[in-house]
Amino acid sequence: MTIGPLIVDELVVEYVHDGYAIRPLDGLSFAAQSGEIVVLLGPSGSGKTTLLSCLGGILTPTSGSIRLGDLDVTAIKGKGLSAFRRDQIGFVFQAFNLIPSLTARENIAMPLLLSGHGRTESLARADELLDEVGLADRGNHVPGKLSGGQQQRVAVARGLGHNPPLLLADEPTANLDHIQAEAIIRLLQGLRSEGRMIVVSTHDARLVPIADKIVQMAPHIDAEEQPTHQVTLAAGESLFEQGDRSDLVYVIVSGEVDIIRVLADGSEEQLNRLGPDQYFGELGPFLDFPRSASVRAHTAVELTAYSPRVFREKILHKH
Amino acid sequence: MILLTFRDLIYRRTRFLVVTLLAAVVFALLFVMTGLVEQFHREPFDTVEAFDASAWIVPEGISGPFTASSTMPSATMAEVDADVTAAVVTSRSSLSDGDDTSEVILVGHTPGSLGTPQTVNGRPAEGPGELVADTSLGLEVDQTATVAGVDFIVVGESQDTTLLAGVPVVFMTLSDAQDLVFRTNEVVSALLVDGEVRALPPGTVALTPDAVAEDVLEPLEGAIGAVDLVRALLWVVAAIIIGAIVYLSALERQRDFAVLKAVGSPNSSLIGSLALQAALVALVSVALAAVIQMFLAPAFPMKVRVPARVFWQLPLLAVLMALVAGAAGMRRVLKSDPAEAFSGAGA
Repeated sequence: MTIGPLIVDELVVEYVHDGYAIRPLDGLSFAAQSGEIVVLLGPSGSGKTTLLSCLGGILTPTSGSIRLGDLDVTAIKGKGLSAFRRDQIGFVFQAFNLIPSLTARENIAMPLLLSGHGRTESLARADELLDEVGLADRGNHVPGKLSGGQQQRVAVARGLGHNPPLLLADEPTANLDHIQAEAIIRLLQGLRSEGRMIVVSTHDARLVPIADKIVQMAPHIDAEEQPTHQVTLAAGESLFEQGDRSDLVYVIVSGEVDIIRVLADGSEEQLNRLGPDQYFGELGPFLDFPRSASVRAHTAVELTAYSPRVFREKILHKH
Repeated sequence: MILLTFRDLIYRRTRFLVVTLLAAVVFALLFVMTGLVEQFHREPFDTVEAFDASAWIVPEGISGPFTASSTMPSATMAEVDADVTAAVVTSRSSLSDGDDTSEVILVGHTPGSLGTPQTVNGRPAEGPGELVADTSLGLEVDQTATVAGVDFIVVGESQDTTLLAGVPVVFMTLSDAQDLVFRTNEVVSALLVDGEVRALPPGTVALTPDAVAEDVLEPLEGAIGAVDLVRALLWVVAAIIIGAIVYLSALERQRDFAVLKAVGSPNSSLIGSLALQAALVALVSVALAAVIQMFLAPAFPMKVRVPARVFWQLPLLAVLMALVAGAAGMRRVLKSDPAEAFSGAGA
């Protein structure tokens, strides 16, 4: 079952939305070994699912490479991708995504049946996996008759049908209470001990202790620690660029700045021009989002830079 | 693939049942319309064949004995050099049995000669005042019926002797028909011959039975065309019904297909599942339709003659149509993005 290391190198995914270029993944690199649990940690929109899609051969990245053992995943095309997903990857989806008309047993067997395995063989494998996830007595229940945790365990079992070396789980505990989540976490730990590599995307900190490797999808910024300070810029000078990490909030003391968004074709759109006593850049640090626009000095400008906490206490509460 | 198809059919059984019944009604109408068209086409050939003649002699310029006013002197018969020759009178008339009046085609024949009908009940007309009526008139032997104001006794019934889309033929002796139609025995409508025709009287032509039957079909071309158009429309309706259910199914199961694609299931299996569903709906509908048409057919004023070949042709065409109609749904499956499996909240 083991296949060798997973190496993600300088992965970039860029797409255009409403005319703007979005980069959910921008130069991401990490490596993991068989038998490891890799936790992709980050808030919604940080590119976790995009990364899972790339790892699973569902999405082709804009640049960079993914290697799984000897396989160059990013070089696989067309029907080869279906075969890659079928043979090498097991998927567990946040929404469980069980087929409502099929029993738990049939849901597990279906990918095997559709890829040409015999009915008896597929159902026997499903029984084996149901036993492995502790649901041997629920095989003939349809998803509607199972709890969320049981459905997720069936979904995990389905992902293991072809005995893949890499299991990709998207927010597997997101819709579960703590008891059900614990059962899933224990199940994932058990699967790792079989030598399988498991990549889990989550914003659930409960998964952190079981991780062998944590990939921070949106690096935590200790902006609170930065002291308040003055910034001066000459006309035309840039304060920060769209996509930069967000750490500070700025209040204009004198002069004017332009808020600019970079479009997909590389051109720029001026969103606003701000002057003295106006502030900007607060949402990024508050929400842990990257900068959504660039800021450039229109004239010579003097700014006061605050950490989000200080800005909230001293400036925001006054307004 | 089969499991996926059947389980989904059971899961959405109410909808599939309603759609199957709807399609079955449409297919039943298709059976009936096909039976009507068949009857339109076969009726004149069967009836003309009942006259047992190898050729019909009519005056030049007359398209046929049943569609034009055909008259020729009775003496013309003596000029025909053929193995067997008999005179007939044909004319449109009306028949009343006391309660109802029906349009009929009157045929006068020489008893025992060409043109004498086979009876399924009673015997042929042999003497004055006797009549053989087609069974569709519902007359009984020994009953009195009035043709063109003259009373006749029904002595027999013939079957499948109708023309011009169900107009029944009544048979009587040649002299009775001549009296009714021409008021003289010196005129006939046509001459029937059997065997070799060695010489034709001047000013006459010999028509084959097929030519006579095709001539009878001419006035019905418009009606046949209309029924054919209705048949085509019924196919369109059936295609829309089945196409819509397949498309809806593909739409609702988009997430399922995305998930199955994500886990490596080939497109062919997923499309095959949907195609099988479409074919099954079509086949079950046609099977139900074959039963429904048996109850529908008697309600039609014309005989509905569904040919045996239709019972295998229609299911075959229905399956083909369902596959074509379901193509939009199948294309949707083909285009479904496995990445959709990642989207959305918990079920």
